[in-house]
Amino acid sequence: MSFLEWTFLFGSIAIAGPVLAHMLAKPRFRRLPFTMLQFLRSSQTESYSRRRLRDLLLLLLRCAIIVLIALLFARPVLYIKPKPKDIRHIYYLGLDNSTSMSYTDGSSSYFEQMKDSVVEYILSAETNSVFNISSLVSGNWSYGLSKQQALMEVKTLKLSTGSANVDVFLSGIRNSGRTINAADEVSVLLVSDFTPQIFSKFLNVQEPVIADNYRYEMIVSSKPINNASIIRAQVADAAVDGFTINVTVANHSQIRQNRRLTAKIGTYEAESLEVTLPPNQVKIWPVHLESSSISDMQLFAPVELSLSSGDGLGTDDTYYLAVRMPQKRQTNLLLAEAAEDEMFLLDMAMQTLSGRGSDRIIWVRRIKVGDLSTTNLEWADVLVCSGITERLGTMTGEISDFTESGGRIVFFMTGEPAASATNQLWQSKVLPALPKKIIKEQTFPENSPCEKEFSGVGNVAAKAIANYRIDRIPVNGFWECLPQQDSVCLWQYQNGSGFIYFRQLGNGSSILANTSADGSLGSLTKSSVSIALCQYLLGEHNQIRDYSFSCNERIVLPVTDIDFGTGRQKSLLVRDCDGNKKRAVLTDSSLMVLDPGSIGWVKTLTEPELYAGVNLPPDETNMSKPIEQQVHEALNRVFSTGKRDNVTSADIIGTKEQKPAWIILVWIIISLLLLESFVANRLRR
Amino acid sequence: MTLSTRCRCRNKHQEVLNMAVNREYLDPIFLSKLANMELVARCAVEGFFSGLHPSPFHGFSVEYSDHRQYYPGDELKFVDWKVFGRSDKLYIKRFQQETNTTVYILLDNSKSMSFAGNRSVSKSEYGAYLAAALSYLMLAQGDSTSLVLFAERIQKKIPPRSRRTHLNIILKTLQHNKPGGRTNLASVLHTLAETTNRRGLVILISDLLDDEDSIFKGLSHLKFLRHDVIIFQIMDHQEINLDYEGLIQFEDMESGDKIRTFPQSVKHTYRRRVTEFLDEIEKTAGRSNIDYCFIDTSEPLDRALIAYLARRKRMK
Repeated sequence: MSFLEWTFLFGSIAIAGPVLAHMLAKPRFRRLPFTMLQFLRSSQTESYSRRRLRDLLLLLLRCAIIVLIALLFARPVLYIKPKPKDIRHIYYLGLDNSTSMSYTDGSSSYFEQMKDSVVEYILSAETNSVFNISSLVSGNWSYGLSKQQALMEVKTLKLSTGSANVDVFLSGIRNSGRTINAADEVSVLLVSDFTPQIFSKFLNVQEPVIADNYRYEMIVSSKPINNASIIRAQVADAAVDGFTINVTVANHSQIRQNRRLTAKIGTYEAESLEVTLPPNQVKIWPVHLESSSISDMQLFAPVELSLSSGDGLGTDDTYYLAVRMPQKRQTNLLLAEAAEDEMFLLDMAMQTLSGRGSDRIIWVRRIKVGDLSTTNLEWADVLVCSGITERLGTMTGEISDFTESGGRIVFFMTGEPAASATNQLWQSKVLPALPKKIIKEQTFPENSPCEKEFSGVGNVAAKAIANYRIDRIPVNGFWECLPQQDSVCLWQYQNGSGFIYFRQLGNGSSILANTSADGSLGSLTKSSVSIALCQYLLGEHNQIRDYSFSCNERIVLPVTDIDFGTGRQKSLLVRDCDGNKKRAVLTDSSLMVLDPGSIGWVKTLTEPELYAGVNLPPDETNMSKPIEQQVHEALNRVFSTGKRDNVTSADIIGTKEQKPAWIILVWIIISLLLLESFVANRLRR
Repeated sequence: MTLSTRCRCRNKHQEVLNMAVNREYLDPIFLSKLANMELVARCAVEGFFSGLHPSPFHGFSVEYSDHRQYYPGDELKFVDWKVFGRSDKLYIKRFQQETNTTVYILLDNSKSMSFAGNRSVSKSEYGAYLAAALSYLMLAQGDSTSLVLFAERIQKKIPPRSRRTHLNIILKTLQHNKPGGRTNLASVLHTLAETTNRRGLVILISDLLDDEDSIFKGLSHLKFLRHDVIIFQIMDHQEINLDYEGLIQFEDMESGDKIRTFPQSVKHTYRRRVTEFLDEIEKTAGRSNIDYCFIDTSEPLDRALIAYLARRKRMK
């Protein structure tokens, strides 16, 4: 017996209390004259000894109760050596049901071979065996199975898409091992194809698993391996007419692969080409897909890349890639200049920007601010003004309606602003910051914005601005500005003053570029930073992107610029790879699907249709044959046998079974308390 | 005989008497309220007789007095068969009293007799009432009566006389008597045996808390001198039953010894011992042809009077 909290044993000292009380106690009595003392004496002699005995018994009982309570708090643990007949044979079976196990060399698949082998193993086990079976992909354990139950479990085991989860399997053995008897015989059986992907996981195991014995079985074809797979695909280039996807095909087998690679968008077969790959080679094939096969309104193009059949494993021959299509959007830009040709350079920059990308066409119209009218505003998506003139003041209401309905207005400070117009625009909150007075000192903008991921401006363009070293462009003066309460200073000068202020106005926005009257706008627009700056001010460039995920990771699709209809919902219905309907979490910036299922498409069930391709992990179907010696060494390191008495970690199981003795103690204490009250009661008589 | 058996016998006896005896005047509590010992004696005796059926206790003389009707319970030997033959009715012959006996009343006057238990009447008081009642009865019948008070030795001895006025001396002695001293009964009995030259009836009223063997040796001495002996052993109810609670220090009234104990824990053993003691006395008395009457101070005096009269009748 040992104690977990042995310090409580000092509590036994408390027995001094009743002992002292016993020694010091003087009973109260009354005097009574009597006659027949000789009879009383002869009776009392017997009774007195009994009473002393009872007193002593009571004292002993009380002391025993105190000692037992101290023992109880000390948490005693009994070590009981189990009887030989109680020794059980406990088997932990780890069965690899990963995708690679579906490989077939013409006869039965690896998976079927594994099941046959495990069934034989179970049948050969002792009658009182207990089986704990884990499927390595899910990591789920079925504990405490009898022989028949284990056979049924193995027979009903199915292949799962994904990789084997070795850590979950090993931790399951460790956790279960804590509850078994020390004398039980623990055996581990691991059956797998030990592909490089699984093997690497065993190599990374840090803490060994203790077992009496272990056995592993490698399911490997005797024939040369024949398997090729698409391990990666990504959009390489986008043009007006379409885009190119680089498809990485791996041949980890020992046979030369002559296959056909086909690309499909939905049901439309877009491209097909011959793929020839020598053994143990990885090669990239570019596949060009035309945009004509995708409707203009389609946000995502579900591209399915597949190899023609011809190897032992078909699951990895198809790759799913969702391509986010660039939105072909036309922007009407109205440049309202206060002076003649004041915005010529900006016009040029915008024209250049329009011609560069395929996603945005910018129509530029340059007018005098004085000519600004409601008709102009109705045409424009973006209004850029150089300076704040009286005309802007008179049109404050129209400008406000323009921004509320989704338009964007950009103010460049060029000269002294008209005070009344400035006040009107400020009070109607169209102006994001109020220019109060000009500071004529030279400064430089910061190289990067304060808000790096701000929605509404071109965050990608901000990186280009930084690359063009905007921090080296001098600005000879700026305005001391008072920003609106809900305005955001996106960019600062190096002296801490605001450079670009932004304010959301209904569906639209307004921007104030705090340039100065000394031609700093010209400095910026004639520099190499001009195009990037225009792009930044106009908003996010809608690039072509692809979305492909591994089946064991969560799906996160960025949805910042996607309109999901009225208001923001908190969830969306999606269909996962297995065809099941699920709810995906929708936040301001992303759509999340926690469990995509197997491999295939995850697709939203509401408009707009979003896609995400789900594929196998890249190395999952690398079917290279394992080297037995290496596997043996790795598993010898993972499974420690014959050390159960020597190891002192929490996982070690002692030779004797530990049983907490507190229940016994509690019953003894209760019994003693009852006995004590009985004896004390008798004593009072 | 166990205590319970003794009680049963007593109860049976009691039942018989209860039918006839007006016991109000025999209750020791009642008697203790009477200041005058003569009144006590008279009350006790007359109370005793007033409840009786006409009986042979009327007297023991050989001289004819009168007849009375026979009542069930009367002894048949006193039936006048001649009258029955003539009238076909049963009549009892009554005789004139005649004194010819000397009675020695030995009253234990030791300290232990002053024990009163929970009752208001102590053993010595009870003994005094009994002695007074007996003296009254005896002198009324013409017997010479002597009273001896003793503890370790004879403290006071009133010589036997048969005058009616002798009663006053006895009662006065009883009234002013105060118990004290230790018991040495054997010595007293031997002394008495040696000093009495006329045989008679010796009535010993005591708690007999002395060495049993020596007591009976003394009594044997008296028996040897052809005295008739009646023992009235007076005990308090608490002495028999020890019905006390809590821790008590018992202090011996004579020797001053002390014992501290829980009475409830020794009660059973104590009662057993007391019963054994009383049984032994009764048996020994029986063997010695001595009348023995155990009296609890909570009981009325009639049992003692009956026992005396029965013995007195046998002396005839």
